Amino acid sequence: MVARVPGGQSLRMEVEMKASSRKQAGLAITLLGTLAFTTSAGGGESTRYTFRNAPVNSMGVKSMADLRGKPVLIDFWGTR
Amino acid sequence: MPASIKLQQEFGDALQVLFVECQGADLEKSEAFAWRQKWMGTRAIWTDERPLEVAGSGLPKFALLDTEGKLLLEGNPLAMKKQIEEAIAEQVKKATSAPAGTPDKLAKTWARFVKGDIAAALAECEKLGTDASLAEPAKTLRAEMMTRAEGKIARGQWLVTNGYVAEASEHFAGLAKAVKGSHELESKISDELTRLQAPDKTLSAEAEASKALASLQQKMVKDKAFEDANVKALQKLAEKHAGTKAAERAARLAKLASIEFR
Repeated sequence: MVARVPGGQSLRMEVEMKASSRKQAGLAITLLGTLAFTTSAGGGESTRYTFRNAPVNSMGVKSMADLRGKPVLIDFWGTR
Repeated sequence: MPASIKLQQEFGDALQVLFVECQGADLEKSEAFAWRQKWMGTRAIWTDERPLEVAGSGLPKFALLDTEGKLLLEGNPLAMKKQIEEAIAEQVKKATSAPAGTPDKLAKTWARFVKGDIAAALAECEKLGTDASLAEPAKTLRAEMMTRAEGKIARGQWLVTNGYVAEASEHFAGLAKAVKGSHELESKISDELTRLQAPDKTLSAEAEASKALASLQQKMVKDKAFEDANVKALQKLAEKHAGTKAAERAARLAKLASIEFR
């Protein structure tokens, strides 16, 4: 579930719940995404992700490898 | 405005900010949201795909990758503002340094390459490579330079293919100066410039349309992006330049205006 706090930040609380309605099912999917997001990667390996869809404004960037040579700041954000 | 946008403005092309939407909105919704928030207009790029997983839940969250794409820092950007800025500054400095393991005698050659003197750097690399003790590292460095130069050519080709004709012309004109003297690269860029300069109705139409769209997008960045006048101008542009890539982009942008947020 996502809770709003002053300042516009979102707090995501990981809870286990049964998806008994469409709304809850959607929420459960969101939570699964969050759980995947929390698993740690890194490990000193270069990021080798290839985008399924080119990022907006990227002018031809197809993968993270295309961004090599400069630092990349990834800002994880949400529209809610 | 997110601090990342300010960092993108501050560091310009030396940094790449990548926004990753993590709350289930698709790419179109993310883009519409960013336009409405006046976050567009920088070199920052936007996706709804996660290129890597980082520890911990909750937003806001960031990850900083070094110049080789390795994870350098991660966490809550609000708590690590100074660390992030310092690490970026260090990486930007590092980006101009020669790849790890490059002998000092070749480091200056790399600096020349980074400054944009590609042909001279390649020639110098070949010359230094005649010294047996530098042969292998010179070969490695030259290969890296060629990979990056080929990447720049590929980027220009992408711009042409996707209707960014004015940008492509500027890109290749700059590259032509940088590779002057390197026959291998010079001929490739010359071919691209010839193609761009040849009388071609399709390219002319793309050039005109992309110029008109770029101008309108600049207005959208300053104004309320999706105010009626801008949406109508986008629709008009899409009709007037129908068949061009820029018209497709204009029509797509006009559609974003109808996305609603609760």
